Amino acid sequence: MSRRLELTLTLARKDWRRFWADRRAAIMVFAVPILLASAFGLIFHQTPHEPTQLPVVVVVEEPGPFSRLVANDLLVSQRLDAQELPREEAEALVAQRRAVAIVLPRGLERLQHWQPDSAGERPTLVLLHHPGANTEKQWAEGVVTETVMQRVAREAFGADAHELAPPFRVQSAAVTTHPNAQFNSYTHSFCGMTIQYLLLWGMESGLVLLRERQRPVWSRLRAAAVPLSCILTGQAIATAAVAIFQIILTFTFGYVVFGVKVEGSLLGFGLLAIAAGGLAAATGLTVAAVGGTETRARSISILLILTLAMLGGLWVPAFLLPGWVRDIGWFLPTSWAMHGLESVTWQQASLTEVLPSFGVVFGFTAVLLILATLRLGQAERNWPRGEF
Amino acid sequence: MPLPVALSLIDVTVRYGERVALAGVSLEVRRGEIVGLLGPNGSGKSSTLAVAAGILEPASGTVQIEGRSRASDPRGFAFRVGLVPQEPAIYEEFTAYENLTFFGELYGLSGSDLRRRVVRTLARVQLTERAHDRVGSFSGGMKQRLNLAIALLHDPPVLLLDEPTAALDPASRDSLFADLARFRDDGHAILLTTHHLDEAEGGCDRVAVLEGGRLIACGGPAELLRPRPADRAILYGHLRTRPPKFLEKALRRRLGSHVELEITGRRLRLAAASNEELGYALAALLADGVELEAYRTPAGALERALRADTTARGSSP
Repeated sequence: MSRRLELTLTLARKDWRRFWADRRAAIMVFAVPILLASAFGLIFHQTPHEPTQLPVVVVVEEPGPFSRLVANDLLVSQRLDAQELPREEAEALVAQRRAVAIVLPRGLERLQHWQPDSAGERPTLVLLHHPGANTEKQWAEGVVTETVMQRVAREAFGADAHELAPPFRVQSAAVTTHPNAQFNSYTHSFCGMTIQYLLLWGMESGLVLLRERQRPVWSRLRAAAVPLSCILTGQAIATAAVAIFQIILTFTFGYVVFGVKVEGSLLGFGLLAIAAGGLAAATGLTVAAVGGTETRARSISILLILTLAMLGGLWVPAFLLPGWVRDIGWFLPTSWAMHGLESVTWQQASLTEVLPSFGVVFGFTAVLLILATLRLGQAERNWPRGEF
Repeated sequence: MPLPVALSLIDVTVRYGERVALAGVSLEVRRGEIVGLLGPNGSGKSSTLAVAAGILEPASGTVQIEGRSRASDPRGFAFRVGLVPQEPAIYEEFTAYENLTFFGELYGLSGSDLRRRVVRTLARVQLTERAHDRVGSFSGGMKQRLNLAIALLHDPPVLLLDEPTAALDPASRDSLFADLARFRDDGHAILLTTHHLDEAEGGCDRVAVLEGGRLIACGGPAELLRPRPADRAILYGHLRTRPPKFLEKALRRRLGSHVELEITGRRLRLAAASNEELGYALAALLADGVELEAYRTPAGALERALRADTTARGSSP
């Protein structure tokens, strides 16, 4: 074994053992992503075929037979979790974003005898919604429109509900790149939180290097004629090893407890794990290279990592993000890593199909490693070590 | 017959940007001697040590250890130097044994040779009993001994120590100098920095005085410390406890402007025009409840070198 390789492995072993020396801190590094992934998965989890019901409050402003019928139709709708309340109570629930309110107004009774050529003022149905609940508002609007029209038709033609059913059926089918691929919210959250915490672990590792460079032990390392490249490579190897261990542990937990599976290429998953581990190491060296003081480095790094996580679709699936955010994702390592991990898990992608994701993440890793190494080398040459 | 030169600095200049930290310093340290680098803060002591250790490249001049330069033989040079930074350069998460093993591996040691050296070095610094305890649980003195042990592990001919007594109590300091004397007798060449005259006088075979990056005096402590009739009477003491600020101010007022009183941590320096005046000043301090653990009264060229205007002096290594 060459002297440089020996030195590098000695330094990597040292950093690995220092990580494990504080057992509690080490356990937290692994436990936090598992806990958060479980929580995110639980929040977004839906059991298959379970209909989602929109919480709705029905307000009847003018008691009358037609309004009563419409209110009853809404209260028994399969698509709504509806209750009838006075307007004040309804507004209070809406303000807390606990429901959308459908207000059946005065004048609705006129629709009982409505004909296509009827003249006169049309009653206005009011939908009360929280400012952030646009989707729920649109959903409620669709349901209430259908319900009122059906009731109007039944009153006009004397037909029963069955006869007025739409003359067609709607069938929905999820389309993925592979047949039988089933979206699992836990898979998404485990992929997302794993990547996010890999980057945060990389940051912590970089801060350790930042501190070490400011301590007398760095002078001792340099006095021992240890090349900077060996120190940095050793640090990167130890960081990547911890990161890969974190990936294995997180996904093992996800598999055992929530059924998160690698349904695609296992080799592809392995390659992505190595690339993501490398990305954590590169993040660490970059933090150490450009961080300045520890406090500044920590604040800026957390901001950047959380931004990368958000824009990369690590928190919520990318299809829920606006188009411009998804466009930015093409330039972020996080979205490529996320895409790769999702592909190889629930989307059943083959090795060939995940190679582009692997290549892009690996490319980002290589570029960051090179830039950080150059920057640290320059900083080392310009740092007068007249003090220990 | 004098032992061979282990470390030589020849006309070394160090610059930090525009500022000259060392200006043409030449100094030799032989095996079997302890040389103290003395000077006030910013005089260039640590820079001298840094170039000697090979972690700071001089702008000009040569640094050699047993004929090797860092540029031509970095490993050979590094293997011949043991650096002891002022603050312990150790990993607190590791045990003493693990620290020594790690740094030994950096110097290319391995296997039974490394294990044998670790055991022997732990014994040299009296840490055998605590070899497998985490360093985080060590006292300051024990950490400093481990700091020294790491520098000794690969048995280098040259030991460089940066203000090794800065954080030590008097007992640990005496113990350290006793250790250094043993290492000197074992054939090590030792260069240490200090800004305490008593350490330079009591613990070093030769003293080199730096000021403003220039070597202004170099010689045996007896020669440099020899009093002259024109010298002021000086007393150095070590206080049992540092007096509070208000008491220090009151003491200054009581002693008057013709007596100089300096208190740095628990170190005290008292200077007066004559021995008689110094005696009165000391009596006044003791009467006011100042407790001294020890005191001594050196004076001479070293004191002059550190305190007087040196514009007229030249370099005399």
